[in-house]
Amino acid sequence: MEATERKKIIEVKNLKKTYIMGQEKIKAVEDVSFEIYDGEFCCLLGTSGSGKSTLLNLMAGIEKATSGSIIIRGKDVVRMNESQLAKFRQTSEGFVFQSYNLIGTMTAVENVELPLVFKRVGKKKRRQMAEDMLKKVGLGERMKHKPSEMSGGQQQRVGIARAFVSKPRIIFADEPTGNLDTRTTKEVMELISEMARANKQTIVMVTHDNSLANYADRIIRISDGKVLSIEETGKNKESDKKEGQITNEDNRQ
Amino acid sequence: MKIIDLIKMGLRNLSRRKARTALTVLGVVIGTISIVAMVSIGLGMSESFEKQYMQNGEMTIIRIEQYGAIIDDKGEWIGSKDQVLDDNLVNMLRGIEHIKAIAPMIETQVTLKSGKYTSWAQVRAIGKDAFSEFGFPELTGGSYPSAENNKNFVFSYEMLHNNFYYSNGRKYETKEIDPAVDKVELTFPAYNYNRNPRKKEFVLQIKDYAAMGETENWEHNYYCYMDIDYFKEIYRKYAATLTVEDRKKALAAIERYSIVYVNVDNIKNVTAVQDAIKELGYQTYSDMQYLEPLQKTSNMLQLVLGCIGGVAMFVSAINIANTMVMSIYERTREIGIMKVLGCMVKDVRKLFLFEAAMIGLIGSIIGVALSFLASMAINKYGGPIFAALMQGSGVYDVGEAKFSIIPWWLPIVASALGIAVGVLSGYLPARRATKISAIEAMKANA
Repeated sequence: MEATERKKIIEVKNLKKTYIMGQEKIKAVEDVSFEIYDGEFCCLLGTSGSGKSTLLNLMAGIEKATSGSIIIRGKDVVRMNESQLAKFRQTSEGFVFQSYNLIGTMTAVENVELPLVFKRVGKKKRRQMAEDMLKKVGLGERMKHKPSEMSGGQQQRVGIARAFVSKPRIIFADEPTGNLDTRTTKEVMELISEMARANKQTIVMVTHDNSLANYADRIIRISDGKVLSIEETGKNKESDKKEGQITNEDNRQ
Repeated sequence: MKIIDLIKMGLRNLSRRKARTALTVLGVVIGTISIVAMVSIGLGMSESFEKQYMQNGEMTIIRIEQYGAIIDDKGEWIGSKDQVLDDNLVNMLRGIEHIKAIAPMIETQVTLKSGKYTSWAQVRAIGKDAFSEFGFPELTGGSYPSAENNKNFVFSYEMLHNNFYYSNGRKYETKEIDPAVDKVELTFPAYNYNRNPRKKEFVLQIKDYAAMGETENWEHNYYCYMDIDYFKEIYRKYAATLTVEDRKKALAAIERYSIVYVNVDNIKNVTAVQDAIKELGYQTYSDMQYLEPLQKTSNMLQLVLGCIGGVAMFVSAINIANTMVMSIYERTREIGIMKVLGCMVKDVRKLFLFEAAMIGLIGSIIGVALSFLASMAINKYGGPIFAALMQGSGVYDVGEAKFSIIPWWLPIVASALGIAVGVLSGYLPARRATKISAIEAMKANA
């Protein structure tokens, strides 16, 4: 009952992705369909080579699907051209990467500003936004540092700040803690989920780590390019407060 | 992306690899210097050719002289022939197209006296219309002969400033004459014809005059002029003072012109008109006939020099392309990240084109600045080399000639060329950058 009330933000239908390697066809994603709801923390869980990263890339529009459709906020990502995708990324998507993917020549605050630069946000405003965001992730003291002068955890915080700075509806995270130790992993995961919950943003995280799946509201298990199972962790239902917020938002829209 | 952000990012990228950027810029600098220096030398040479010939007279003027030189195909003098220059010829010339004006002229020598100072003057008697039609210089005093008053004697610059002298054997002094103040008398030399001893010597008081300013045309600096009708009038008076047999000879002498001047309407038609006059059986002179082969040589030289510059520029274009390709390899991941963060494809292209154009622009600005120095150095120290190069081309007075001239448009063209080379050589690398997939960024290996 509750599931039907929730608003779909991503709808994947009969999605296929086939790579051609020489003579061989490799089916990375085989006829996958699922939904992701607005404001939830969804985890794509699978072993290496299961096609989970490909799935994320397809959803983010970074790779082109062979067939099927991915409807995000009412628009089919599969059928978008490059510049439509770029606009879409500016307004709706944020990314957190395993290898942080910060630009080495830029300081922390400049890295965080970058999506706003592409979005044509004015200089003063975007600097303010980037600084606020860095303070939120606890790097208020390290704004002028370059990535090489920071630890892995700090770099990933910058990455998170960059993903959240333009307030996208969806944040894609590809093994965001893959290069971090256990303690930092915990910090980073809590940061991501807290920030997303605070603004009712949707998180789609890819991981092979079962323990990380505990942060998610829903877990979609992927194996050999197919959806194995979809589990509700029940986290969503435990929180009355959160449910209330969702209802509110649904009513509003 | 806003333009200002694009520019900042581009400049930051260029300054990231300072040594590489500097070397690529150096390539453009060398290319620009070669083009600017080569073109400026070409222009300088062709201008000094023209200038040298301007000193001989006007470019559109053809001269037909009493003693026509016979010149072979190579421009060598092989002899001369006596040509009859009379009114019959003038009438024939009127039938030739593109002739703007014809001025038959009698040249003779007179003696000018002002007090105790004397001067010999070569006087050219010419139709009064010629003064307006043949590019005579500005006057510093008096006026040219006209329909109202044709009695004006036209003094040359040299005549007034250096030619009047006084010598009594012990000392020699020259005097500057101002015809407005000093009285000047004209007589014909006594050695040509014998005077009738019973007649008084012919003396003309010069009342009306014209004083020519100094010009680059040496003819006007040395020759004095008179209206031909007035000249004939005073000449007849002079002839009347001669013995009977010499009077006839003297009058016969002015039946024929010394030189006929022909002014052509356009510098392009000079050669055609010259050929037409040649068909009438007359030898002609014009400055064009010397300048034309020189111009061809100089155009050829400019082309060769320009090509040398072009090669240097081409090499620098390859250099830019190479730098941009390297830069793209290095920044593949960064470009991927930018795309994932929502950078438009066209912004990626613009960014790389901007960087390439900047290399071109900076290079050409430095190149142009250095070219001015190079040009100065060439003009200062290049003399002996160019003297050797231009030997036998008929250009004398190499010392004063400029060998390298940078006109106002050359720096602009050179900078535009630098940017164009940058953009063109950056185009393919930039296109390649746009094709980089955002997946590169997603690849987990850091």
